[in-house]
Amino acid sequence: MIPSDHFVRFYNEVFKCLEPKGLLQTYFDDIGRYAASRNLEKFKKGGLQAVYDYYLVIRKEENCEMDMELNDGEFHQRMNKCPSLSKVLNNDASASPSYCLHCPGWTLPVYTAAGLYQVYNLKEPDQPHCESWLYDDPKRALARYRKLLETVPASRIRTNLPKSLLEE
Amino acid sequence: MLRYQENNELHRNFHGSTDNAMRFVEKTCGREALKEVLRKTGRDVYKSIREKLARGDASELIEHLCWFYYRENAPFKLEVSENEIRFEVLACPAHVHMKKMGLEPAPFNCLQTEEVNAGMCEGTPWTSTVEHIGPDHCVQIFRKEPSK
Repeated sequence: MIPSDHFVRFYNEVFKCLEPKGLLQTYFDDIGRYAASRNLEKFKKGGLQAVYDYYLVIRKEENCEMDMELNDGEFHQRMNKCPSLSKVLNNDASASPSYCLHCPGWTLPVYTAAGLYQVYNLKEPDQPHCESWLYDDPKRALARYRKLLETVPASRIRTNLPKSLLEE
Repeated sequence: MLRYQENNELHRNFHGSTDNAMRFVEKTCGREALKEVLRKTGRDVYKSIREKLARGDASELIEHLCWFYYRENAPFKLEVSENEIRFEVLACPAHVHMKKMGLEPAPFNCLQTEEVNAGMCEGTPWTSTVEHIGPDHCVQIFRKEPSK
């Protein structure tokens, strides 16, 4: 058995196997379907509050050092120390440079299906920090995306905002 | 002394994530590729256990088995002799938790134990096997070539 404590180090090995075969995004879509099967109905029904409640459990069980604020149609998460990437970096095997992509890789399709809009700042791939904002109003998400673009390269931002909105 | 000290909260749902990742790799890349990812996990992630086994020191392997199965509330029996370690898991905590989640482990789910253990032993005087007693009950056996 791979201990649940060590899952992320196995996950990292899976990414290193799949990336050269061009299968990483297909895998993220698969994780998204798996996550959706467990959470989508809750997110659709409960919106931002349901996502906040989900992360209250995750923050505790996964030992996240994360600030979370839910205010007036915006759910803001600031990951100060990601336990997942921290373990992958504290590892005798090398870290996949694409490791952090799995988070928006699964959240974006689930949020899209739930009618929520995420703006995700990946920050640096070798530092266990990231930040994201979630909205039920695409206009507010677009405003956040544009504000973030003032200071962060587009290559480090992920969003599920429709292309038509981004190109306006 | 364990290389990876883990004392915080457990997120047991990761057993479902492991199973899901195994299914994906098996479906898209084949059984052999899955075995290689698992074996590489054993060899590289658990380098510290492997290097100690190569030097004839099984202490971290024994500590690893006991600590992580204890953490996951698994009933187990350990028998250690000079050239053999027998670790009997009476109710696999990964399978028990997945069933609580309403998930059925993949038919090849136990490859994670077989191949990770084999990876830990690679290039050492130790070999590993797994005897399956029941669906959630196994004995993990590590044998060392007797010293000449």
